[in-house]
Amino acid sequence: MPPPLLGLLLVLPALVVVLLLFVVPLGASVAGAFVVGDGVGLGNFVKTFALYTPDIVFTVLIVSLSTALIGTFAIAIGGYLTLGENPRAVAILRWLYRWPMFIPFIVVGQVLRTFLAKNGLMNNVLIAAGLITPLDAASFLDWRGIVIAFVWKQTPFVALLVAGAMASVDRGTIEAARNLGASRARILVEILVPQVATTLMVSLVLSFVTMMSVLSVPLMINAQSPTMITADIAFRINAYGDYGVANALGLVSLAISACAAIVYLRHSVRERT
Amino acid sequence: MNDDAFLRITDLSVGYGATRVLERLRLSIARGEFVALLGASGCGKTTLLRAIAGFVTPSAGAIAVAGRDVTRLPPDRRGMALVFQSYALWPHMSVAKNIGYGLKLKGLPRAAIERRVGEIEALLGLSGLGGRKPGALSGGQRQRVALGRALAVDPQILLLDEPLSNLDARIRLKVRHEIRALQQRLGITAVHVTHDREEAMAMADRVVVMEAGRIAQAGTPEEIYNRPASAFVAAFMGAENMLALNGTVRGEHIHIAAGPHYGAAEVPLDGRALASGALEARFRAEAVQLQAHDAPPATEGLALSGHVEAVSYLGGAWRHSVRIGQTPVFADAEHSLAPRTAVRLTIPAEKLFLFNTPSPSGAAAPADDTHPTATRATRPDRVREAAIS
Repeated sequence: MPPPLLGLLLVLPALVVVLLLFVVPLGASVAGAFVVGDGVGLGNFVKTFALYTPDIVFTVLIVSLSTALIGTFAIAIGGYLTLGENPRAVAILRWLYRWPMFIPFIVVGQVLRTFLAKNGLMNNVLIAAGLITPLDAASFLDWRGIVIAFVWKQTPFVALLVAGAMASVDRGTIEAARNLGASRARILVEILVPQVATTLMVSLVLSFVTMMSVLSVPLMINAQSPTMITADIAFRINAYGDYGVANALGLVSLAISACAAIVYLRHSVRERT
Repeated sequence: MNDDAFLRITDLSVGYGATRVLERLRLSIARGEFVALLGASGCGKTTLLRAIAGFVTPSAGAIAVAGRDVTRLPPDRRGMALVFQSYALWPHMSVAKNIGYGLKLKGLPRAAIERRVGEIEALLGLSGLGGRKPGALSGGQRQRVALGRALAVDPQILLLDEPLSNLDARIRLKVRHEIRALQQRLGITAVHVTHDREEAMAMADRVVVMEAGRIAQAGTPEEIYNRPASAFVAAFMGAENMLALNGTVRGEHIHIAAGPHYGAAEVPLDGRALASGALEARFRAEAVQLQAHDAPPATEGLALSGHVEAVSYLGGAWRHSVRIGQTPVFADAEHSLAPRTAVRLTIPAEKLFLFNTPSPSGAAAPADDTHPTATRATRPDRVREAAIS
């Protein structure tokens, strides 16, 4: 048997699994988005944009804002772990910051639901501390709750990757900047972050895509309108058995994720040239 | 210690945890002087440099520049710039940005930065490379960018942490002369860390040999090379051949008693503080005159007899491994002698380095014979171990 054929034979089982379990269902979904009644058309998309345009905008805004906040917090955590001069504070932060990674989204949603509600723990503490009156207490169970849940859950993941990349940056490049008089904030922004930019971008794109696909958090925290695309997909299927519109919504969220990937690719190409 | 010291280090101690890296170290460096800190890995030379730079906090002692105590000042307030072993260039910045960063931090206007960067690029032969990233430069060019970045801020003291160790051998020889010439032209005070004795001697006005966190000897390259203060310095400066001898001081000379493999010899003390008793003799392979056993001696000095074991050509000279009793030594000669030839080695008195063997107990090295193993075996603890096993 010629070697190329043997190679193909060896990857065949994996290839079949990928094809059957991933490519075929994806293709079916994409094709399904264009099936209207007995024919093919754009009806599902017309319906999708007529009904769900506010939700699509809402999703993009929520996920973008969350991504920006996650990036900021991850840089702050990674920066402190790398540049912090108090070894005890660094050790505590290193031990503490990873915990949310091990908590499932559904639990995060549940925890924050009891924490952020109008009569939840947060408002009770604020009222007890005399910072607000009971009349001022407002529920955070809207877009803010989703953003808080996403940031809380995803920051450790990005911080983990960013802190790892920062730790492997040549310490000399940090000391050289200190030697010339750079403050820690300048070292973080001008020396450290540019050297880990690729890792930061990759982890933020991964986070973006993960948040695009989370169903439990919007269902738990913000079931009213506008809500996120995932909740709409679940609703179309569970309430109406309407796979056409659900597939069209899926394609829209795929396109949004692809946009994030393109932003990243363009950035990394520019870096390399 | 000279009084016009520009950089003065007084009783400096540094420790990481329980280990002491530097122990009450004193060193004075004059303005415009080029000092090389020379030593093996782990001797504390880099730690000393980092303490001077302000990256290591000393547990005791003081560092002063021009009379101003800088011991507790941050690295950027000491008027010093450090060139790192890895160069530590910022990969995301162009050459010009790397060189100009220190000036940007000082808040200089853009035009002034560009002018200064242009000057530095011209000074270091980097003109035309300003727009490139460090990744697109050769090792030698990166090294010059690192040097330029340090020089751009016009430091009073330039600190160099093994800046040549990442260059290949041919470029290294060229760059060390370039750095030395530049230092003399700018009249800048420089402290250079290296483990390469030739590099230290070629570049520095003064060489400071370090051993286990202390200064073993400080002096001009000639002094260090020709009058080593201890057996360690002698060995580090290339006098790797070692013999254990026995000597008696008589007036201005030391008399070496004849042994089974060597004749008696008179060596002038020449100001050395040697005492009668067990001696450690050290000499370089190239200091030896190697002859056939029956040839007439050409020079005076300590004569050893032995057999050639192996020969290799080093370029310029043949290096012979010769066994004197049980001790192997190296000896260079212009012509090769075949293995198993009986030979005589003569070491001229001025090239024979003698040191009293530290022997606190009676178990010291036997003085009437050459010692079985080379270099470090004269340490009494090791001799005792050898005797037991």
